[in-house]
Amino acid sequence: MPTSYAVAPEEQHFFPSAVSPGPAQKRLALGVVLGLLVVFVLITAGLLSGIRTQRIEAFLPAYLASMFVCDSMTAILLFVQFSILRARATLVIASAYLFTALILAPYALAFPGVFAPAGVIGGLQTAAWLYVLWHCGFPLFVIAYAASKDRAPTTRFARRTTLRAITQSIVLTMALVLIATFIATVDEASLPHIMLDPLRFGPQWPLLVGAPIASAAIAALTALWLKRRSALDLWLMVVMVLYLIEIPLSYYPAPMRFSGGWYVVRIFGFLSSSLVLIVLLYEIQTLYARLLGAVLAQRREREARLMTGDAVAASIAHEMRQPLTAMVTTADAGLRFLERQTPNLERAKLAFANIVSDGHRAGAVIATIRANFKTDVRERTSLRVNELIEEAMALVDSELQKHRILLQSESDQQLPPVSGNRVQLQQVLVNLVMNAIEAMAAKDEPRILSVKCAAHADDRVTVDVADTGTGIRAADVEQIFNPLFTTKSNGMGMGLSICRAIIEAHEGQLWFTPNSPQGAVFHITLHASRPPPTAG
Amino acid sequence: MTLPASGHVVAVVDDDPGILRSLASLLESADYRVRLFASGAALLDSSCLAEIDVLVSDIDMPGVDGFELLRQLHAARPDLPVVLITGYPETIKRLPAQQAGNPRVFTKPFRGSELLAAISEAVRPVP
Repeated sequence: MPTSYAVAPEEQHFFPSAVSPGPAQKRLALGVVLGLLVVFVLITAGLLSGIRTQRIEAFLPAYLASMFVCDSMTAILLFVQFSILRARATLVIASAYLFTALILAPYALAFPGVFAPAGVIGGLQTAAWLYVLWHCGFPLFVIAYAASKDRAPTTRFARRTTLRAITQSIVLTMALVLIATFIATVDEASLPHIMLDPLRFGPQWPLLVGAPIASAAIAALTALWLKRRSALDLWLMVVMVLYLIEIPLSYYPAPMRFSGGWYVVRIFGFLSSSLVLIVLLYEIQTLYARLLGAVLAQRREREARLMTGDAVAASIAHEMRQPLTAMVTTADAGLRFLERQTPNLERAKLAFANIVSDGHRAGAVIATIRANFKTDVRERTSLRVNELIEEAMALVDSELQKHRILLQSESDQQLPPVSGNRVQLQQVLVNLVMNAIEAMAAKDEPRILSVKCAAHADDRVTVDVADTGTGIRAADVEQIFNPLFTTKSNGMGMGLSICRAIIEAHEGQLWFTPNSPQGAVFHITLHASRPPPTAG
Repeated sequence: MTLPASGHVVAVVDDDPGILRSLASLLESADYRVRLFASGAALLDSSCLAEIDVLVSDIDMPGVDGFELLRQLHAARPDLPVVLITGYPETIKRLPAQQAGNPRVFTKPFRGSELLAAISEAVRPVP
């Protein structure tokens, strides 16, 4: 395996040339094609026949300049993508756009009336032949692109050779444009005549211009269809359809320059030139936003984990402080009984016994905490929801006390066990309860936290965590499960999106409803674990 | 070393049975008579409010917390000396400035001798 292949697979998912188009994008592409076909049908049906058009001097320079800008920007973006992905196909399609951008220069120079009445270079046929070479050349590049798509990753360029590859491609493309210009200018006299005069197309136009462009575009469309995979492929197919539609339009309603059809073709041409650029820019923006979202979500997830850690640490501190205080105080008492003039041995003995039992109590607290955290994160076991709730409540007990919150818990006695990850589900419960506590701490009493669990006939077990806190504002309802969303300034008890992710990973659901008269109720649904099939 | 036997009645309120038992032991070692209550409400409902000389109460308790207990006791026993204990040093900040009797506050775990000294000071009439 050569070392040249060093692109992380994830890296590829961030480029339109690598991501597959979503259903919405496919629908949009289909819509664009159908819309263009409708325009096409309307025009061929005679929409433009009544319109008398004339030469607009400013049109061509503006059209050619904007085409050049679009195509060169697309080329630059694709070359940049190539320098990152280092896939040969991206280099080929970047060269294709460079080709269309560069060929516009001789085309503008040759077109009668743009820089000089008869064109600066070549003769009567030059611009028309450059148009043919341009519109055949691009589909051929697309075919080459499709052909180079499925190469094994080993054909990727090494990082150090990308610059050389780009330079070579640019030089090669420039050479192709020079050759095309040479053919269309120097050999102009020997080329078949497409133009009758600077305005009118000759009778051979369909055969010499239409047929080759159509063949190339159909071939490119077929090649793309066979290798279609990415968003870029999809939009290149749309571009090829545009190329196909252009041909009859050029000849309709009158086979001449500056007719209604001719102007429409220029607009279509501009569309096909800018389409991939728009898609590239849109995708880059979207992916950037998604990337930003992912980074923020990751950061918040980490913070949420730390916050849960903080709550657990505070709870452990409290749980340990109690037996420790009892032990120290009892030891003080024991010493005092022994230091009396007549030592009270009975009471001292009792004090020692109490110290021992308090010590064991502290040990039990540690053992419980250890049992809670040593479970493998991926491990799923059969769990009793009641126990889960009790354990979670023990962890937040000190917080409940601190904020003087009354805990009401209700539970079906006949709850079936659920299958799940103890630590993760506890994290969810602790998070929900911490949120509830925070929502209630901000307001006056009554502060009541109600935790109910119930079994349902369809093998579901539900846990409802209800508070009498500030509730969730209508404006925030849609967003509270969004990882980017928080209403909190200090970040305590975050991570509803993580909670939902955990519950959904357990094939369950997490949602909320308003509590009456105030506050919020978070509902968790889990599935009862099915008993293993009995052997025999 | 041993404080003189006083026979004063000390009420202790804490929701943790271990703390309650240890405080009982400590106070009995100093020959106080001890009344134990698992909650503020239990003390308020009890019939021995009048005979109490000193109150030792936890601050952080479900239902009626230490501050609320003091507020409610104030009507019946405005002059009752109070010693507060807490697991959260930061809760001391919530102590109302005009708290009757200006109670001493101890953070768990505390030194037995210091707690006893505070109680003994509280029951001794100010000269």
